[in-house]
Amino acid sequence: MAPKPITSPVPDAWYPTLAVLMLAIGLVITASFFIYEATSSRKNRSLAKELSTGAVASVFLGFGSLFLLLSSGVYV
Amino acid sequence: MGLRFDLLLFTAALLFSPALSDLVLSKVDRRVDLTTQVVRITSTLKAENTGGNSVSEVLVVFPDRQAKTLAYLSAVSNAGKGKAKVSSVTLPVKEVELKGMPPSLVGYSVSLPEPLGKGESFTLDVLAVYAHSLKPFPEKITQADIQLLVFEDSAYYLSPYEVKAQSLTVKLPQARIESYTKLENTKIHGSDIKYGPYENLPPFSYSPIVVHFESNRPFAVARQVVREIEISHWGNVQVTEHYNIVNGGSEIVGEFSRLDFQARPHIRGPSAFKNLVAKLPPRAHSVYYRDEIGNISTSHLWGDSKKTELEIEPRYPMFGGWRTAFTIGYGLPLRDFLFESEGKRFINISFGSPINEIVVDTLIVKVVLPEGSRDISVSAPFPVKESRETKFSHLDLVGRPVVVLEKSNVVPEHNQYFQVYYTFSSISMLMEPLMLISGFFFLFITCIVYMHADMSISKSSPSYLAKLQWEEVQAVIQQIDNIISRCLAVHDKLEASLRDLSRTGDVQACKAARKLGDSALKELTKELKPLLSFLQSSSQAGHVVSKVDELVTKERELQEKLMVKLSTVVDCYEKKLSGREIENRINAQQQKITALRQEVDDLLEFIDEL
Repeated sequence: MAPKPITSPVPDAWYPTLAVLMLAIGLVITASFFIYEATSSRKNRSLAKELSTGAVASVFLGFGSLFLLLSSGVYV
Repeated sequence: MGLRFDLLLFTAALLFSPALSDLVLSKVDRRVDLTTQVVRITSTLKAENTGGNSVSEVLVVFPDRQAKTLAYLSAVSNAGKGKAKVSSVTLPVKEVELKGMPPSLVGYSVSLPEPLGKGESFTLDVLAVYAHSLKPFPEKITQADIQLLVFEDSAYYLSPYEVKAQSLTVKLPQARIESYTKLENTKIHGSDIKYGPYENLPPFSYSPIVVHFESNRPFAVARQVVREIEISHWGNVQVTEHYNIVNGGSEIVGEFSRLDFQARPHIRGPSAFKNLVAKLPPRAHSVYYRDEIGNISTSHLWGDSKKTELEIEPRYPMFGGWRTAFTIGYGLPLRDFLFESEGKRFINISFGSPINEIVVDTLIVKVVLPEGSRDISVSAPFPVKESRETKFSHLDLVGRPVVVLEKSNVVPEHNQYFQVYYTFSSISMLMEPLMLISGFFFLFITCIVYMHADMSISKSSPSYLAKLQWEEVQAVIQQIDNIISRCLAVHDKLEASLRDLSRTGDVQACKAARKLGDSALKELTKELKPLLSFLQSSSQAGHVVSKVDELVTKERELQEKLMVKLSTVVDCYEKKLSGREIENRINAQQQKITALRQEVDDLLEFIDEL
């Protein structure tokens, strides 16, 4: 079997676009998280909602910052 | 010294020659290339078996003085003749201990592809590359002087076999020769010196020659080069090379005049070199060149589909004995160097430094594999010292395994591909994003905890209790707010059903919608009741209660008006009145509804702002 070249799972050229897109989504969700934190009163704040918003936001921010690092040349 | 050595060899030859007499070298053609600082001697040997036994290896010997500077040795079969050359085969070479030969010799044995029978002959090319074998003489020169080098060798091919016919060509960089040893049959052709042909020489014949010649080629010697090759499966092979370079030529004495050097560099400083050219692989990107102070801007880069060339200039011209240290780095696309075969991944990359014609005293190649690589093995075309270490880089938990390969006396011929094999599961690639994600998630968790935690010190102070109560009131108000909003949504739905009625004339659908809306509103009113009573009982809610009450009553009023309007319209439709008449009838009601809706919205907004 001839050796098969290995490539990155996502093409390099997509990194900047992905970074901008995912960070934008992530920041919007983060904003909604903090708006929810600040506006809802302590009694009727739902922990599940907080956690789920936080989780989704951190997934987007995590991948977004990874692609930001990759597109700026810091290959982790 | 040379003569004594010769004498020693001669006696040795007399003593030991009969042992290896089976093989005879019928023709030896040696070419010495002195155009660069690296000495390359190519010897074409035609070996002939004259004895009875078959021979499977040929011995190549070097005097130990030469063997010390020998950096690279290879033997290639030279089977074809002239232009019809068959593809040459590299023959295995290994160092052997010489038995029954002078102690001042180092021997290597070249294994032939097939044993040589009686009367058969075989032609092979032996390439020997020496580093640091050219000595500058004089050792110290001034800025304006040219650099002179001394080369020493034997005019006769030193061999344990009898040599029938031989010749030697020495190729110099320039036609200017200071001096050279004149023997019989010595000729000069431009910048070439030819010795020979000499015929029928016994084994271990030796006749020292010395060539003293001008060479202003760069004498770049790297004391140490550390090449770090870092693999990232996200699409990059990052190479960082740390150089510690010295000009190994004649040392400069006296003062250095920058003015003279700038004005006439070829006359006032011919022995200095100004630049170095590195031949990087194609598609290299993000190339940088810096030293401890920072970026060095004197560099040029150009490339095509076969290579990328980087020309770098040190901060000052490099005169003999001067040293400089710098770092170059570049990124390479993953797919050109990383491959997968039979479940194992391997990197296939060149070993030596990419800089042209450089001699490296100690080359350390570090291959940094991704975190989570296992079963690491190395395959190199020549012996290297191997060790392991761990490196911590971006987003690492346990560190990346590093394969360290060390080799001394590296010449450009060592620029061959080597492989590092390892196994790696693609799941491990998700470690880095997971770390980032957990980092952000931790941040959110902290926020949530902070918002939920009660940080007050005294839990019984009146202000604290008041705050608690006020928070409760706030929560209730929010709930009321929420319910009212839902009521308004139901109102909107009813209005929409009215519009549908005017469009389709379907009275039944409208009635059904009304029934639904009615029940929904009832539910909401029921929910509202306990909240309102709580609010009235609470001491903290004093100033809000009136507003909330007003809101609730207005909303109820709105509800009633809407229901009236609804029944009116439905009635009209059942009586089949004209559109204009319906409009007339509900006109007054509609106005009231709009005004009420406005009031309710205002109140809602006011309460929201609390």
